This record gives sequence, C-alpha cells and structure tokens, in this order.
Amino acid sequence: MIKRQRTLQRRLAVLLLITVPLIWLVSTAVAAYVAHHEVDELYDTQLTLFARQLLSVNMGEHGDDPLPVLPKTKKLIRGGDRGDAEDDDIGVAVWNEAGDLLLSDGKGRHFSFEAGRRGFYTVSGHGDKDEWRLFYLPAPDGSRLVAVGQRQKLRHEVVLKVIQGQLLPWLLGLPVLLLLILWAVRKGLRPLQQVAADLGRRSALDSSPLAEDVPGEVLPMVRALNALFARIADTVEHERRFTADAAHELRTPLAALQVQAEVMALMPDETGRQHALRQLQQGIGRATRLVEQLLALSRLDPLQGLPAAQPVDWATVCGDAMADVAAVAATNNMQLQLQLQWQDNPAQVLPLSGDATLLTLMLRNLLDNAVRYCPPGACIELQAAATGIVVRDNGPGIAPEWLDRVHERFFRPPGQDVAGSGLGLSIVERIASLHGLSLTLANRDSGGLQVRLCKAD
Amino acid sequence: MRILVVEDDPLIGDGLKMGLGQLGFVVDWFRQGREGLAALSAAPFDAVVLDLGLPGMDGMDILAAWRQAGQDVPVLVLTARDTLDERLQGLDAGADDYLVKPFALSEVAARLRALIRRRHGQSVSRLVHGAVSFDPVARTAWLDDKALELTARELALLELLLSSKGRVLSRELIEEKLYGWGQELESNAVEVYVHHLRKKLGAGFIRTQRGIGYALGELQ
Repeated sequence: MIKRQRTLQRRLAVLLLITVPLIWLVSTAVAAYVAHHEVDELYDTQLTLFARQLLSVNMGEHGDDPLPVLPKTKKLIRGGDRGDAEDDDIGVAVWNEAGDLLLSDGKGRHFSFEAGRRGFYTVSGHGDKDEWRLFYLPAPDGSRLVAVGQRQKLRHEVVLKVIQGQLLPWLLGLPVLLLLILWAVRKGLRPLQQVAADLGRRSALDSSPLAEDVPGEVLPMVRALNALFARIADTVEHERRFTADAAHELRTPLAALQVQAEVMALMPDETGRQHALRQLQQGIGRATRLVEQLLALSRLDPLQGLPAAQPVDWATVCGDAMADVAAVAATNNMQLQLQLQWQDNPAQVLPLSGDATLLTLMLRNLLDNAVRYCPPGACIELQAAATGIVVRDNGPGIAPEWLDRVHERFFRPPGQDVAGSGLGLSIVERIASLHGLSLTLANRDSGGLQVRLCKAD
Repeated sequence: MRILVVEDDPLIGDGLKMGLGQLGFVVDWFRQGREGLAALSAAPFDAVVLDLGLPGMDGMDILAAWRQAGQDVPVLVLTARDTLDERLQGLDAGADDYLVKPFALSEVAARLRALIRRRHGQSVSRLVHGAVSFDPVARTAWLDDKALELTARELALLELLLSSKGRVLSRELIEEKLYGWGQELESNAVEVYVHHLRKKLGAGFIRTQRGIGYALGELQ
C-alpha cells in the first residue's frame, strides 16, 4: 500500500517535471518564431521606407559630388537625450551609376556597391564580423543606388528580449508550481495514507467497517474493503462455529473409545474382553464416519461453484450410489430390498451439468440414511425421473417435530440407537444447492420417508 | 457402592456399566432422561453419573428436579461442553463435580469414590476397623497386614459395612447396595456373604441385630 502510494506520487512529480518544461520549451520556440517574423516584417518595412525616402530626396544640386559625412549623433545633439539609439547599428549609402559614393551615414561607407543589386541581402563583413541586413533600391532611371542596412544582431536582440521577458516568470514560477503540485498531490493522497494506517493497525479478527468520510475518489475502495470485511467476518464466523461444533461432536465418540479401551483392559474374562472389543470396533467405526463426514463437509463448504461441471450421466451416478449402499446393507444382513427405478429414459433424467462424484456422494448419503434407520426387510427405492430424483423407504420416518431440524448440522432427533454423525443431510443439502437442486423431506402417508431432489426455482 | 448412570450414548453407557462394575461398583444404567429421573428414588444409590445431553429430558433439568425434591446424592456430571459458563451452570444447578468428555474411566471411579467419601465425612480413602483394613481403589482387604482373598461381592459387603460404621444395615438395603436391577439374587445371598466374611475375618467382625439387620462388631 505504502509502496504503491509512493509510486503514484513520484509518477505524478516526474510526469509534471517533464511535461511542464516541455510545454514551456515549445511555447518559447513558437514565441521566438513569431517574434522573429514580426521583427523582420517591422524592420524590413522600415528599411524599405527609409530607402524610398532617401531615393526621393533631390540630390541634384550636388551633382555627383559626395556629401559631407555627418558627425556622430551625440555630437549633433550636444548632450541631448539620444535615447537608446546606436549609430553603429545602422547605415545608409547612396551611389551614382558609376558607383561613386554620394552619401553615407553610420556604417554605410562600408557597404559595397554592386550594380544590379536590388532587394534584401544578408551579408557579413562591414567593418565587423556581424551579419547585416541590407536593402538595395535602385532609382527608376538607374542614376542612383540606395543601400540601407541594419545590423542583424539588433533584430536578434529584440527577439531575445521578447523570449527573456517570457522566460523569467516561467523560471521563477516553475519551482513554485512544482512545489505546489507536489503539495497538492501529497495532500490529495492523505486519505489513502489514513486508510492505510487504519488497515495497518487493524487486528486480523476486526471486522468493523472503515470510516466512510473520505474523498469521492477513495470512497469506492473503502466501500469495497468494507464489503470484503463483512464477507471475511461471515466466513470466519462460519469456520469458527464449524470447528467448535466439530470439536464438540468428536468428544463423545472419543470418550466412548477411551472408556471401552479401559473396560477391555479391566475385564478378567475372555467374554468380557470380546464384548469390549466389539464395542471398541463399533466406536472406531462411528468416529471414523464422523471424521469422514466432517472432512466431506469442510471440503464442500468453501466451494463457490462446481469447478469441473459436466453433463451428468445419472445411470452411472445412481448405479454407483446403489452399489455402494447395497454392499453395506448386505454385510449387515439387513435383508433390505434396494430398487432402482427409471421412470424416464436415463438420458432424459433431471438434465443438469455437475460433478458426478459429488452427486454420487449425495445419493449415497440419502440411501445410507434409509438403510441405517429402516428395520430389516424394509424396501428402499431410488426413483429417477425427468422432473427429479426421489429416495423412498417404508421405515419409521421422522417425527414431525424434527422434520424441519434434521438438516441442521450435527442435529439428530433424540433417542437414537443408530450411530450417526448428524451431518449426512447437511452434506446432501450442500451438494444439492451447488447443483441448483432443492431438497424436500416428507413422511409418507403409508409410512416411511420420502426425500425428493428437484430443480430449485 | 451402587451408582446410577444416566447416559444416552450406548457405547459410553455400556463402558461405564462394565468398567465401573469391574472397579467394585454396582451400576444401574438408564438411557432416557425420564427413566433416570425416576430411578434415583427407587433404590439407595450412593452416587449418580449424569450426562447432560439426554433424550426426553435434559440432564440439567433432571438435576434441578432431584435437588428440588431434596435428593442430596452426589452427582457427577458428564458433559461435552467445556466452556466455563456451562461448567458453572452445572455446578450451580447442584452438581457436585463434573467431567468433560473425553474422560478416563479410572477418573470417573476416583471421583465417585471421593464424592461418596466426602458425603460420609471421610477424608482418607482407606477404611479401617480393628485389624481389618480395606483399600477401595485397589479393591484389597487386609487382616493384620495380610492381604485377604475375597470375592467381588464379599469386598462390596465389607466396603458397605466399613463405610456405615455405627449403623445397622437391613438385609434389604444390603441387597440393594450389592445388586443392580436385573441381577439375579438368591434369597439367602446376604446371609451367605456374611457367613463367608465371618469365616475369614473372625466371627465377631459382623454383629447380627436380630429382626433389624447387620452391623460392624464391637472392637475388643
């Protein structure tokens, strides 16, 4: 939980640390491009205008004599405010058709005359290593050629300034922004930390729900956890009760074994020892059966569904269950009549998919009950029909007041001579419900018990 | 000593009857609660072994009914429930002792002897009268430190006489203490056993109170 939380926080931080500078970089590049474009447009327009104005000035009275070069501006204004102007960054030059320099200012004297030049040029080497942007404009009659130039650096500086202006707040704001984001993430995840701390402190048997006063994002998780706790508490309680019941139910058979073993050691004569031995064997059989039934039920209990459900072949299932019980009935010399009746074609009987082993166990438990509680000579029928399976006997039945309770775990109607675990019907009911079947017990009008298994609604 | 066992489990009940019988007790065993309830007043029982989970009537209800009727026979409760609550409940209802299943037969016997001894106000387990002593645990009697060869019934009669010092026991009471229901009994059985004991322990050991019964003889 804690590890996951750290990752979430780190992920967010890393994501933001990469994305925010990336966005800034792209936006700066776009700004630089746009600024460059705008500055070029502005300055190129100015250079063009400037060249046109120069060309339109009448310099006829001087003929082709060069005009005197003006002194530097700061000399001309004699201490007046010259603003941010930089004489050396611009220059103009006017030539006659022969290429004689008629007028120059700034760096203009370094501009080269080349007949036929017109329009913008970007050149380098006019008294320094900087690039210059030059605009050549010839007069319509070809008598003059004007060149107006500007140091390229000037434009770069403007663009740089624009970018700097944009950069500064970003550089100052970015750490603050990231810190704020980290703080917000941390604060946003605090409810999760709280839940984690609550869970960490929790004892294994605590099934109380977590507090639901958490943000909406965390609430579904907390609710799911609470539902899980409730389910776990149910399971634990169920297991606990089952274990307690099982331990309790094992005490009586164990006491019987202990007592009979001691009796066997005490008996002075062979007859007494034989009697105790028979009792001991009976007690071992009873304890074994109880343990087997407990194990069967403990394996059935946690099943949520049938892992390997296949179409059920009732002919095999009924036949196997019948054969198992018939063998027991024969050894006990009960002279019972066991009958398997097909009321429909075996292929059409109670169509369902399920686990044949479990269904055999289910039928065997029902038949076994009938064999145990029926007097010698009784008739036990297993009827298989499309609508359901019925086990019917003509034994003593179950007293009406106990009919509702016999399926309870470990419950046995009082005053039983027949040994039993009190779990048989619980096993039957569990297997039936796993297969979507319902179990109905009823005393028959003619005497005996009828157990019916049919599809639950 | 005659013990009433009320236990519905056939194997435990049979084991208690056979085992306690071998340990020198006379045992009557009932499987139904109501039968057990009625049996107690029908014979002079020295103690009761009572299972709590019984058909017909719960062991706890039987115990309450006995105590209500003024029966003060020591009752040893057998229970499969071992929580403190349930044990206390049993003792509060008038049980003198309890054993949680599974238990050892020898422990049942030892506790029964202790309960009976306590009821007679004895603190030592060995019973002595003059030169005769008897150990109820080992089921052995001595005369002047010499072990005696006695049958189970003779030992039972000796134990009965030694634990009823100063009392005259009627022939009927002795018969009832020595024989459970359903056990065959010759009409002169008590006289025969008294005769045997006198032969082995001396004629003066048992005194005959004509028309009333038998008691321990005076010590010389």
